Amino acid sequence: MIQKIINRIFKNDTLRGFIRKEFIQALRDVRMRMLLFVMPLIQLTVFGLALSNEVKNIRLGFVHAPNDIVAKHLADRCFASNWFIRPRETNGDAFQWIQSGDADAVLVVPPGGLTKSIEEGKGRLQLLVDATNAMRARSVENYVQRILIAYQKDTVTTTANPDRFSLDVRVLYNPSMETAVFLVPGVMVMILCLLTIILTSMALAREKEIGTFETLISAPVRTWEILVGKTLPYFILGMIDVPLIIAAGMVFFGVPLRGAVWEIALSSAIFIATTVSVGTLISTMAKNQQQAMMGGFIFLFPAIQLSGIMFPLDNMPAVLKIFTYLNPLKYFVTVLRNVMLKGGDPMVVWSNVGAMAVLAAAALWLSFKRFHQTLD
Amino acid sequence: MTFDFSVTRTLSMAKKEVRHILQDPFTLAVALGFPLLLLTFFGYVIDFNVKNIRLLAVDSDHSRASRQLMEVFESSQYFKLTAAPSSGQIVHLLDEEKAKAVLMIEPGFGKDWARNRTAKAQVILDGADNSIAGTILTYLSGIQAAALKKLSGEEFRQTITLKTRFLYNPELNSQWFVIPGLTVVIIGIISILLTALTVAREWENGSMELLLSTPVRPLEIIIGKLAPYILIGLGAVVTVYLAARGLFQVPFKGNHLLYLVACALFLGTTLAQGLVISVVARQQALAIQLANITGMLPSLLLSGFIFPIESMPRFFQIFTSILPAKWFMVIIRGIFLKGAGLLDLKTPFIALFIINVVLIFIAAKSFKKDLEP
Repeated sequence: MIQKIINRIFKNDTLRGFIRKEFIQALRDVRMRMLLFVMPLIQLTVFGLALSNEVKNIRLGFVHAPNDIVAKHLADRCFASNWFIRPRETNGDAFQWIQSGDADAVLVVPPGGLTKSIEEGKGRLQLLVDATNAMRARSVENYVQRILIAYQKDTVTTTANPDRFSLDVRVLYNPSMETAVFLVPGVMVMILCLLTIILTSMALAREKEIGTFETLISAPVRTWEILVGKTLPYFILGMIDVPLIIAAGMVFFGVPLRGAVWEIALSSAIFIATTVSVGTLISTMAKNQQQAMMGGFIFLFPAIQLSGIMFPLDNMPAVLKIFTYLNPLKYFVTVLRNVMLKGGDPMVVWSNVGAMAVLAAAALWLSFKRFHQTLD
Repeated sequence: MTFDFSVTRTLSMAKKEVRHILQDPFTLAVALGFPLLLLTFFGYVIDFNVKNIRLLAVDSDHSRASRQLMEVFESSQYFKLTAAPSSGQIVHLLDEEKAKAVLMIEPGFGKDWARNRTAKAQVILDGADNSIAGTILTYLSGIQAAALKKLSGEEFRQTITLKTRFLYNPELNSQWFVIPGLTVVIIGIISILLTALTVAREWENGSMELLLSTPVRPLEIIIGKLAPYILIGLGAVVTVYLAARGLFQVPFKGNHLLYLVACALFLGTTLAQGLVISVVARQQALAIQLANITGMLPSLLLSGFIFPIESMPRFFQIFTSILPAKWFMVIIRGIFLKGAGLLDLKTPFIALFIINVVLIFIAAKSFKKDLEP
């Protein structure tokens, strides 16, 4: 049975010719070759290097008199930490410093200096934070607070000994908490998706637009031969990109690959089968390339946002969570992260691959059905 | 060469383009649905505050102190505590994605505390998502202080008290940060995407030659073809503005005219960019990929919309300066929340203006060169 199917696919001259034509068409243009093999690497590198949600390089303004010893020590501690840097100097007051965009936060000592204020038993310090970025602002406050507590622990003896209780924290899987390690599997899913869906749908729509689709229908080829012939090349191109991107992630960013390679290969194959089917489905609804591209976009954008690639899905409203269960990207990125970072837990891998396979089957069936209809 | 520009011809070009758009349900869906989709998504779906973190608590001590410690975690509202059966398979539970963190309290915790020795508890974090892990770490430092207070029943007396004033967004509402930024993302994506396709489509269909043989001048073709997209872009600006003010109650502290000027400047750069792409690519399939790479991804990821530019490595901090989206983002947020004026925003305005002029120059030049036989 399987032998028969393989024979029908691989010992089929029509199909072979078809696939060869599609490959030539996809790869003859230098710009297209660049797009398929060089661009993914550049994208991966840029996003892997550039994107980081750590809060650092905070420009902290700190004005104090030279003889204000406590303030001076605090300032030294702030700038010795890796969080804060000194902003450009200003002539205006603290508020203007932030308004002009030169400083992200300013520490203001009380009139007369911090040292004197502590001697008087008040010791009030004010922190002005630019809270346009709310997330960043909260971290800024936290960092300053931490430095203050550490400073007081070292200098002042208090009734409560802060060392009596300690939390020992261990960070697993990504101990240095690199953004790239987390993001690279996600970027890989994104790139694969963008390439396969848009290229497949546009290749089919192109035949419609140019009018060669009619020629195809009247030629002695069967429906499934057209479908396989038009989609298999993009499936193969997508599969070539997988090891390329993973290798780049490992070499450039030290992303670990702790699980089995075959698990990645299997899940990639199922995923790309799904995206290629989605691409076909879109092309059956589109009249020309522009529509195909817009259709691809309408699918892709929400799919990427609701996948957990960039934003956590945990706190999402329940109504929208339903959509995430229909999202192949979500399953694939979960599998990739689990396999690459955590070594691949069988339960996680198989439940997600299973869900993805169901979606792939549905997409394949639907696209075949729709494709058949458009031909009639 | 005499300067010959006909408004009628330009208008009829624009009319033709509008008819194209209206006939195409997909383009229409993207132009109208996309801003709404982004608004709902970033306004309601994404929650940047990490809360309800699934924390497994393994209490092998069962003392008063260990129970108090767990109470501190629970009352912080950041964590959702579940008691774990045994301590044998902790890492396994993280592998299975059942929890984000595990709190382990070894036997002897209560005794150590009672005897005035350092009582130690351990927290194991799933660091795969580094940003969540980073947030949890910040929470933990607060928990440590709270736990100390709860266990000892007395306050850690501070000689210096810190009072923080959060300017521009005192309640730290993350939507105030995200929603105005959407203006950048929506214009960046829609106008680059749509214009990249329009001229490429005419070339691919061969109708560009046809157009050029008519009395319509190249400049009229460009302006006529771009006019509808300028309207779509401005429509997106207004939509986001109304949603920000009405739905999300984001304050607008700046000058409306300045805001509009900035939007027009940015719209100009994106349209020019789309035009350059479509002239260079000449094929729709290629144009769309180029638009994605140079337009959509940078305006979403490298503009400072979510991922702060300050945290990028030095090279990228400089590199992103050639992206108009970065400067426009600074301007939009400055005008919206800070009420910044032209003087505060002179650097981003000058940068955006230069990029605008350069891009329009390149677009005009490449289009002209393209037309010569």
